[in-house]
Amino acid sequence: MSDYKVIGHSVQKLDAVEKVLGVAKYAADIQFPGMIYGKTLRSKVAHGVLLSVDTGKAKALPGVVSVLTGDDIPGSNSSGIIIKDEPVLVKNGQKIRKIGDPIALVAAETEEIAEQALRLIEVKVDELPAVFDPVAAMKDDAPKIYEKGNVLAVRKIRRGDVEKAFAECAVIVEQDYQTQMAEHAYIEPEAGVAKLDGDIVTVWVCTQNPHYDAKEIARNLNIGLNRVRVIQATTGGGFGGKLDVSVQVHLGLLAVATRRPVKMIYSRHESIANSVKRHPFIMKLKSGSDANGKLLAFEASIIGDTGAYASYGPGTLTRSAVHVMGPYEVPNVKVDAYTVYTNNPQAGAMRGFGVPQVAFAHESQMDILAEKLGVSPLKIRLINALRPGSFTGTGTELKDSVGIVETLEAATAGAKKTMELNW
Amino acid sequence: MSKRMIKFVLNGKPIELEVEPELLFVDLLRERLGLTGTKVGCGEGDCGACTVLVDGKNVNSCLMLAVKADGHDIVTVEGLGDYDKLHPLQEAFIAEGAVQCGFCTPGMLLSAKSLLDVNPHPKREEISRHISGNLCRCTGYTKIVNAIEKVACQGGGEDRE
Amino acid sequence: MKKRGIGMASMWYGIGNTGLPNPAGAYVDLLDDGTVLVLTGCADIGQGSTTALAQIAAEELGVKIGDVRVVSADTGVTPDAGASSASRQTYISGNAVRMAAQQAKSVIVEAAAEALGVGVADIVAADRMLTVRTQSDKSKDLVDCQAECQIALGLTPGTDAKSISIVDCIAKCRAKGKLSLGHGWFNPDTTGLDMETGQGRPYATYAYATQVVEVEVDTETGVVDVIQIVAAHDVGKAIHPQNVEGQIEGGCAIGLGYALMEEVQVKQGNVATANFTTYVLPTSLDVPPIQSIIVEDPAVTGPFGAKGVGEPALIPTAAAIANAVYNAVGVRITDLPITADKVLAKLQLQG
Ligand code: FES
Ligand code: FES
Repeated sequence: MSDYKVIGHSVQKLDAVEKVLGVAKYAADIQFPGMIYGKTLRSKVAHGVLLSVDTGKAKALPGVVSVLTGDDIPGSNSSGIIIKDEPVLVKNGQKIRKIGDPIALVAAETEEIAEQALRLIEVKVDELPAVFDPVAAMKDDAPKIYEKGNVLAVRKIRRGDVEKAFAECAVIVEQDYQTQMAEHAYIEPEAGVAKLDGDIVTVWVCTQNPHYDAKEIARNLNIGLNRVRVIQATTGGGFGGKLDVSVQVHLGLLAVATRRPVKMIYSRHESIANSVKRHPFIMKLKSGSDANGKLLAFEASIIGDTGAYASYGPGTLTRSAVHVMGPYEVPNVKVDAYTVYTNNPQAGAMRGFGVPQVAFAHESQMDILAEKLGVSPLKIRLINALRPGSFTGTGTELKDSVGIVETLEAATAGAKKTMELNW
Repeated sequence: MSKRMIKFVLNGKPIELEVEPELLFVDLLRERLGLTGTKVGCGEGDCGACTVLVDGKNVNSCLMLAVKADGHDIVTVEGLGDYDKLHPLQEAFIAEGAVQCGFCTPGMLLSAKSLLDVNPHPKREEISRHISGNLCRCTGYTKIVNAIEKVACQGGGEDRE
Repeated sequence: MKKRGIGMASMWYGIGNTGLPNPAGAYVDLLDDGTVLVLTGCADIGQGSTTALAQIAAEELGVKIGDVRVVSADTGVTPDAGASSASRQTYISGNAVRMAAQQAKSVIVEAAAEALGVGVADIVAADRMLTVRTQSDKSKDLVDCQAECQIALGLTPGTDAKSISIVDCIAKCRAKGKLSLGHGWFNPDTTGLDMETGQGRPYATYAYATQVVEVEVDTETGVVDVIQIVAAHDVGKAIHPQNVEGQIEGGCAIGLGYALMEEVQVKQGNVATANFTTYVLPTSLDVPPIQSIIVEDPAVTGPFGAKGVGEPALIPTAAAIANAVYNAVGVRITDLPITADKVLAKLQLQG
């Protein structure tokens, strides 16, 4: 199979020349004659009900072209990849669920005027008690962020009989782990431009999923999907953070309202403060093996703080549940993974999708187990590694391309070249 | 406030124009002159995406007032090379796979040039130190340093003429 | 005192969305001059998917990489390829592009087979030519059959007319009013997970990796320095090895930041670290030498055996660093990030 002519060859990247010359067009680089600039007014409270938005003074400011509130949205006023729980603009009488929730949009001749106009909008909010800790949020008496409660999803894995298996284990390792909230920090902040071409709304934007963006724009503008055209501008990194909509729907609304090309660029502050985050996890893992180190039972509970909106949260926690035992064959598995709403920034997809968190935990477990058994970190992994024919925690039989053992061997051999490794 | 006339050399060509005293140099480049190769990653001097060369030195143009360009020789990524003739650093960045999303690339190239122009054969550590103000979230810097090192080994980044 | 330690960590990662349909589509147009247009909804965010998809199309069609142009991620013209997430695009869009290329190719292969007097199964595409498979990889029967066909067509069996250029073949197709267009879509073979037991088939294939990290811990300050990283990743088949390495190196850097320095601080719902002064990213001084090792255990269902690498690249890094810190100084940090304060506090507790 080594006689491929193109596959396996490191050809010149197709976009590299434009990028080194500085001519690749990122969204912020796109200009149109008569273009105006959009800005977002955001909530300063974490939990409350929006009572009123007074845009009179902002609209009167010279240079302001348009000011939009939740009442100006022709469509569903919602977005979200898994659950449409995120308002495009919070409407009067609707809930604010986090600091940074969008309340109004301004389009003006310059960015400075748009910013000035934001400061002239008067917002009244009836503040509610908030909850920032996912464990507290799971309690019955916690402030309810959603009617149906704060536990958004529970994912269970059940295989074999863990209780019976733990009773038979020679060694058991039980440990709590925690991981922090993290930021994608793509160097390009969110940006986009929208323009009407006849009755087509065209949006150039940095994104990881233009077709999803188009659907969100169409639903909120209440127009056919065939009248929205989303074109991915050259995108300055994403790492999962450009999967959710940022400027997309707002740009569409402003372009339709003003019939002028409109641009939005987030500052670094606006980007970090309002984009989705990597879920902080609270985990409890219990691993048990026989005297030879063969894993017999595994149990885990995972709580992920998904913040105010679902984003990719339920998907992240499902993936965590599936992966939390690591690349090892364990016949008896019990996992409970909770996706919990709080009034924190929403957490969603970030490179690794819930697996970096659980890998930190399951790989610590393996080393603790190895030490207790007096075997090397390599040996404990080789004993338990998945192989063709193995069954995973979800009961899936692995057939081909199960390269974990090869990576264990290759990494060890590689490390021996430059490290004093005595395994 | 009253506008001020400034004169400077940009990518080898003399420029003369009137600017507001509070205008940032990066905005002059991007908005007024349409040179969008210079990027804005933070606007606060933390990321280096906006790096330009002022008299050969790497400077964050998001912290520099346009009036400060007066009398200086300035190079942006647009002045480094073109389709017909890439700069050796641009060639090396492509060949070594140092470009992923490319948003840090213009700034990286200019920071690298500012090093090689005064120190044509830097050691790997010197390269890492010199570009440590330029953040890259994609590459882990390995291939960027490789690319700069490659040019350094070939005899530095001095002009091709 | 500075103490060194080595840590290992492994990971697995299911390619594509978990137990959900997540198809991708693609169109391939083989144009009159033998160049190729690929239309895909796949968004390249710097990772190099556009290049990988072009390579897949070029390999399948037997043209040069320079012959292929990819138009991507434009909902006005490209089919939906889903998100560039879940390390799915090489595997899923890669398969879609390959299938579209196969469909476009089938039109010219048919023309070539007719012209060369062989069956379509005997034609291989490479170097802008459609060529009759060499004798060595054919059964005796096929050779005989080919000879018969050639005689029937008035050709000298087994000698000339062993190949025809792709451009000529396209011209033959056009002369008959045939376009060489293809479309393809691929959805990984998965099932949903049972709500009570989580049993099912969440992914069609998995990537695997092991990383080994050496650290140096300053016992006076608690500061952890990563000295080197060895990262071995099973990617199925590396379509573009240099880009795979780029993913591994970049992933390790994000993993290192996650392990040691990055933390979004939220105070009463307010992000207190909304700039790069307070949310500190690894710089070129923080990232150590990284030895990337590409392991290729081809996936039967992957395009040319490929799986994915984008996310796997960073998954084991923090865990390996935590294990290395323990190996160095006997301190096990169970909450990320592993800051100097936490290490020092535990060291002091140790006495
Ligand atoms: S944009 Fe100037 S340093 Fe970041
Ligand atoms: S290549 Fe993306 S930030 Fe450097």
